[in-house]
Amino acid sequence: MRHIGRCLLPVRRSFSQYTNAARAVKEDPRWPGWGVVIGIEVHAQIKSRRKLFSSANTSDLTEHPNTRFVPYDAAFPGTLPNLNPRCVELGIRTALALECQVQPRSTFDRKHYFYPDLPSGYQITQHYAPLATDGSLQLSQGDAKVRIKQIQLEQDTGKTMFDPRRRVSSIDLNRAGTGLMEIVSEPDLRSPEEAGDYVRTLQALLRSVGSSDGNMEQGSFRCDVNVSVNRPDAPAGTRCEIKNLNSVKFMMVAITCEVFRQIELLEKGLSVPQETRGFDEAKAETFSLRSKEDAPDYRYMPDPNLPPLLLDQTYIRDIRKSMPELPPETRSRLLAQGLSERDADVLMAIDMGREVGYDGSLGHGAVAYFDTVARGRDSKIVVNWITHELLGQLTSRKETFKENKLSAEQLGEIIDLVQGKKITGTSGRSLLRHVLAHNSSESPTKLAEQMSLLVSESDSTSLRTWCKQIIAEMPEESQAIRNGHLNVVNKMVGRVMKLSKGRADAKAVRTTLETLLATK
Amino acid sequence: MEKYRLITKVESSRSSGKSGVLEDTSFIAKDNITTKGTFTTSGSLMLSNYKSPFDATVVDLLEEAGLKLIGKANLDEFGMGSSNTNSYYGSTLNPLYENEERVPGGSSGGSAAAVAASLASFSLGTDTGGSVRLPASYCGVVGFKPSYGRISRWGVIAYAQSLDTVGILSKDVALAERVFNVLDRYDEKDPTSLPESIRGQVEKHQHLSSESKFVIGIPQEFILEDLTAQARSQWLQVLVKLLKAGHELKPISIPSIKKLLSSYYTLATAEAASNLSRFDGTRYGFNDEEVKETAYKTLTENRSKGFGPEVQRRILLGNYTLSSESGNHYLKANELRQRLVGEFNETFRFYNPLLSEYVSKSNGCDILISPTSIDPAPTIDEYKSKSKENFLAGYINDILTIPASLAGLPAISIPLPAAKQGIQLMAQYGDDKTLLQAAKSIEKLLI
Repeated sequence: MRHIGRCLLPVRRSFSQYTNAARAVKEDPRWPGWGVVIGIEVHAQIKSRRKLFSSANTSDLTEHPNTRFVPYDAAFPGTLPNLNPRCVELGIRTALALECQVQPRSTFDRKHYFYPDLPSGYQITQHYAPLATDGSLQLSQGDAKVRIKQIQLEQDTGKTMFDPRRRVSSIDLNRAGTGLMEIVSEPDLRSPEEAGDYVRTLQALLRSVGSSDGNMEQGSFRCDVNVSVNRPDAPAGTRCEIKNLNSVKFMMVAITCEVFRQIELLEKGLSVPQETRGFDEAKAETFSLRSKEDAPDYRYMPDPNLPPLLLDQTYIRDIRKSMPELPPETRSRLLAQGLSERDADVLMAIDMGREVGYDGSLGHGAVAYFDTVARGRDSKIVVNWITHELLGQLTSRKETFKENKLSAEQLGEIIDLVQGKKITGTSGRSLLRHVLAHNSSESPTKLAEQMSLLVSESDSTSLRTWCKQIIAEMPEESQAIRNGHLNVVNKMVGRVMKLSKGRADAKAVRTTLETLLATK
Repeated sequence: MEKYRLITKVESSRSSGKSGVLEDTSFIAKDNITTKGTFTTSGSLMLSNYKSPFDATVVDLLEEAGLKLIGKANLDEFGMGSSNTNSYYGSTLNPLYENEERVPGGSSGGSAAAVAASLASFSLGTDTGGSVRLPASYCGVVGFKPSYGRISRWGVIAYAQSLDTVGILSKDVALAERVFNVLDRYDEKDPTSLPESIRGQVEKHQHLSSESKFVIGIPQEFILEDLTAQARSQWLQVLVKLLKAGHELKPISIPSIKKLLSSYYTLATAEAASNLSRFDGTRYGFNDEEVKETAYKTLTENRSKGFGPEVQRRILLGNYTLSSESGNHYLKANELRQRLVGEFNETFRFYNPLLSEYVSKSNGCDILISPTSIDPAPTIDEYKSKSKENFLAGYINDILTIPASLAGLPAISIPLPAAKQGIQLMAQYGDDKTLLQAAKSIEKLLI
């Protein structure tokens, strides 16, 4: 719990690396004559297989309570911490993605407080020397860059659940000792919307480097927000910290409520006391949790079990080399490949939903899928097949992209068959539906053969035969066309298509029908 | 056995594995060293019902070498004390004195008494500021505290783990050395275990020969006014014997020693306050079973009832040290510790393998020598009335033993039977073998 507002004090740095150290106050119609200053402290769970200092596996919310811990996590006497290098690696990936300075030497320190879900009575964090400092994050809207003060590794706590009916607290240690990255921004945000943008951009970034799944609802990504208001050109106001916000939406609402509350106090001539506040989602208001005076004394000390973490440049360089592509890079690459902004955004939005693998393995999302299919093919055609046909089918099947059973190879083959005019577009779509419905791993070429979808030499003769048959079956409609009611043609085209099981080309059917009916 | 108050007698059902270098030797472990299937109480009501789910690495290694664990020894609660009177299980008596009730020293008092009374061939203790060496001195046995990091601390219940070191108590140096050879290895479960690379470096540069004549330094700061007249004359006789045996004596000075006591108690109590935070009776250990209104109340009540007065005193001291209003004493104490290490580095001939590559020095001491304690074991009554007068009285003896603890140096107390107390030898960090070599040759002179 680092107090971000402290950095509001005038120039602590002797040099200013960034130009937005004092971003101008933007006039906001919601609160004319007031400026808003926001800093955010994020606790993101590291997506590692094992915990930060123990051999126990990390858990998600599906595990039974107290099934994922070893004696160390329960603070059994005589146990000792053992730093998980995967956590360090993922911390460094995050630091590099946020353009931070990775520190060659950082330390592990103890922060003490008594709580039943903190078994050792202290949390190991990096109080005196954090893993990385001085980074920045470019917001997606506008050109604002938010400075990142520091990133530190620390342990998550267990969970306390209170059953008010039985008046019993239960402790679950599954989460105890899981690695967290505490990512602290400078107070560079100026509106609730910017704060929302910051959090979403950060989530996407962590997911893209595989360091966290960034899930706010499930608690693997938690935000504490520092808010203050001030008159333009006046020094920053007193901040309040809002804790325990479970979604970006509620965070933005909470900030807005807090801004109004602080303005109201100041306009009445009162002062804003520095305190920690909670947020009541139902009432849409913040409420006091504790004042500055009640803040516990954490009695920090260097952890005598853990030597300083020394990172040499080669190690950091190797991690930098193996860094996955970051969202802004992905976006510009997709645009350069000829995708429209809309298509790129659709792909990347779906990509956000991909499973983040453990220990930095990246998992395959929509972008990777697109990349595989687009290799050697026309990007625009490929993206159309993905966004229109595949996603459309998945949506109607009420499936997400994660559940997609059509492999990139299969889709590539379908596209090749259609582009090579071996099958019609309609046949291509029905092949795609077939694979999804039957979870088939068969090659589309073979499936097309089995389903007699391949366009053959004789198909042009077949076309005439099919058309003739339908004319014979639909004498009334045929007569109507002959009488000049051309809108009836569509109905007959549909029947021919059905008869041909989609092998016929709709345009060709229409021409053939018109020819046959006109020459009569 | 009751007189020495072994806390737990371990039944023979505990298998001691295969045959090894120390076959058929029995040992007793201080009860702050975890042993699976038996109690590990740390001499505290807080852990009076505690059975560890795992063995300490030291116990594993000894049992693999064919040794038998036969009991767990009494101690000052959580290692806090130098008389073994601060135990929930009562005081251990010193076997050296047939008809008197004298303290065995602490905190490894039970371990020292067990060896002195020949209950086992040797015992394991832990030494944070002298907790192996002082009881060895009082009970007339050998007490060896190796360099910090040589022996694994996995399974050692922490008191102040930047200082805690597993030590060996035995009748003679030779057995202590044989046990040490079994335990002296890297353990990946202990993040402060000395890495293989540094162990290898040290071994490469040590030159040991059995007929060595040693350059022995005598720190001026240890010529204490508090030494009794008798202790002083015994001490002089030892020095004369060393000279006669051909060793070179050299007066030296380690100026930081004078300021160490407060640093030591700052560090030890701060770490203790932190380490003992985990004992709240909710997951294991003492719980008074009363239902309280709040979880917080449960924790505080269990802690207030489960810890003895000395432990509570040190937790309070430590928490004060760490509190924001006290200033940064912990960090300052660590700075003094660095200075102390520097002064020792200048004194010893051998290099400090933690701080530099090997450098060959032609001068400097091989070992340092001092008394281990300022007096022989006091009676329990004497000790208690002195402590009542001033609870700091118990801390005085620490002056002789804490320099080696703070600098992580290997140190050994060997008995001087005539004085009923011990002589302490210290060597450079990592240079345990030279220390043991010197101890073996000096041991012969003292009998």
